[in-house]
Amino acid sequence: MSRDWQPDFEQLVDEHQSMVFSLAFRMTGDRGLAEEIAQDVFLELDRYLGRIESPEHALNWLRRVTMNRSADALRRQRVRGMNLWVEMDENHGAIFEERSSPLGSRLAGLLATLPSPQRAALVLRYQEGLTPEEIAAALESPLATVKSNLQRGLKLLRAKAESRLKEYIRGN
Amino acid sequence: MDDIERELRQGLLRLPAPPGLKRKIMARKQARDAEATHRRVVFWQRLAASIVLCSAVGGAVTWHNVDERRKGEAAREQVMVALRIAGRALDQMNAQLAEHNDGK
Repeated sequence: MSRDWQPDFEQLVDEHQSMVFSLAFRMTGDRGLAEEIAQDVFLELDRYLGRIESPEHALNWLRRVTMNRSADALRRQRVRGMNLWVEMDENHGAIFEERSSPLGSRLAGLLATLPSPQRAALVLRYQEGLTPEEIAAALESPLATVKSNLQRGLKLLRAKAESRLKEYIRGN
Repeated sequence: MDDIERELRQGLLRLPAPPGLKRKIMARKQARDAEATHRRVVFWQRLAASIVLCSAVGGAVTWHNVDERRKGEAAREQVMVALRIAGRALDQMNAQLAEHNDGK
């Protein structure tokens, strides 16, 4: 692998802050927490920068660490007895409405109600466009587990959409 | 890809990062770097102070030992001089006693 590439921290922040924040926000459902996670992830990247070998390595590293940090944050919140997504369930879609179709927005909102492993797999699949193999690498999970989470997540989401978004399904 | 997957892909577009996120990251990085530099400086200062202190204590102990040895040597020298003087006096007294006995 070429070592000609020299990582530039500020440029990496510029390029990936949207991706890191979006992943953290879709996993936790809390803008403040997502911003905090994004800051922590980039500060960790700064410490790890000497070992980053290529732009792809940086991107994959950021995805993996963001998902880990988000999972840790969710775990900590569960231990404290809080559920970050409770309030997000109803108004989560509002944030997306300017940029996507109404059904897409509501589906993004419904995604919040899925168990976190399924949500993680679906977010990486449909926000980042990763293949199941890449998702398995990012989540450090077996491929079979990722495929199962993707299938179950989609099935659950479809069932929820049919029962809760009938007006949109009919409208489309 | 079915409809729900297509809609999901549209619904899950990346969000713009909050305004000021980069500024906050850079500020935290700068603060952390400054803190690390400060810690490094304090570490080297403490190390230097420790070396100076150890050198001073070691020097004092060595000087004390050398001084003690020097004083001991001086005292031994004085005793030897005293013994030499006493020996010489005794020799003279012996010589006088011998002359006195011979005269009788």
